[in-house]
Amino acid sequence: MNSTLNVEADVDFVKTEDKSIVTKRLPGDLAMWFFILAELTVFAILFIGFAVSEQLNTEMFSQGKAKLHQISGLINTLTLITSSYFVALALNKMHQGLGKQSARLLLVAKLIASIYIGVKVWEYLSLFEQGIDIETNTFFTLYFLITFFHLMHVLLGMVILIFVALKAAKNEYNASNISGFESGASYWHMVDMLWIILFPLIYII
Amino acid sequence: MKLSNTNKKNTLSWLWLIALTVISTYVGLFLELFNSQKSLFIFIVLFIVFLKGQQIIDVFMELKQAPKFWRRLLMAYVILLPIIIGLIYLL
Repeated sequence: MNSTLNVEADVDFVKTEDKSIVTKRLPGDLAMWFFILAELTVFAILFIGFAVSEQLNTEMFSQGKAKLHQISGLINTLTLITSSYFVALALNKMHQGLGKQSARLLLVAKLIASIYIGVKVWEYLSLFEQGIDIETNTFFTLYFLITFFHLMHVLLGMVILIFVALKAAKNEYNASNISGFESGASYWHMVDMLWIILFPLIYII
Repeated sequence: MKLSNTNKKNTLSWLWLIALTVISTYVGLFLELFNSQKSLFIFIVLFIVFLKGQQIIDVFMELKQAPKFWRRLLMAYVILLPIIIGLIYLL
């Protein structure tokens, strides 16, 4: 166990002598947050583009959505939420200096996220079997573009979490050097948050 | 094993997110029983998007303890984007 880590995980604020004054801290690197904002902006444009296209092609989008497997979208939402939960637990363990336990929780998070990848690939293959691909119509062009773009973010997030888990297992994070872990976790939560908007937009509404 | 306060918050948030996901998936079927308008369905689903986004931002991302500017920025995303999408569908 890393004995150099003295952070109390449940302290919400950095306490000062004057209890009315609290210092609030942004978790992770500032650069990562700018990157997250850039990613959110790109996805916002795609989501708005999808909604506008749906209004212009109501019948086509309605037929397209009927061909999607809503349960697989639901499973993917549950897997990403649960994976995000385990990443949050892992960060808490790391704050307590429990690197190995933290790495184990990250491994669970990645295993759960791999269900998402499996379901997504199955969903793509079942559409291909029906003769549906990216060129079928505007709905499926946007469907494949947005969901594949999101899948790439999931894969990138998993690569980041692998690096974070390896460092956590070696107890390389400590109180003054935990922003790498926090940045990776924040990126993963962003991927989760994007799916939370994507799922109702493409599968439900 | 005693759960720490942070773990409790994370667990409650996770359960809340799961419940909201199931509700948003099946709210359409429920509303169909009462012949409700699609606009009500869209409003409920997008409101759930906001509730879920807020949980992720405040609890999982821990932005409730971050400088207000960053929390407000992320919260603006989960408020404004559903509003814009809602307006596109409803107008």
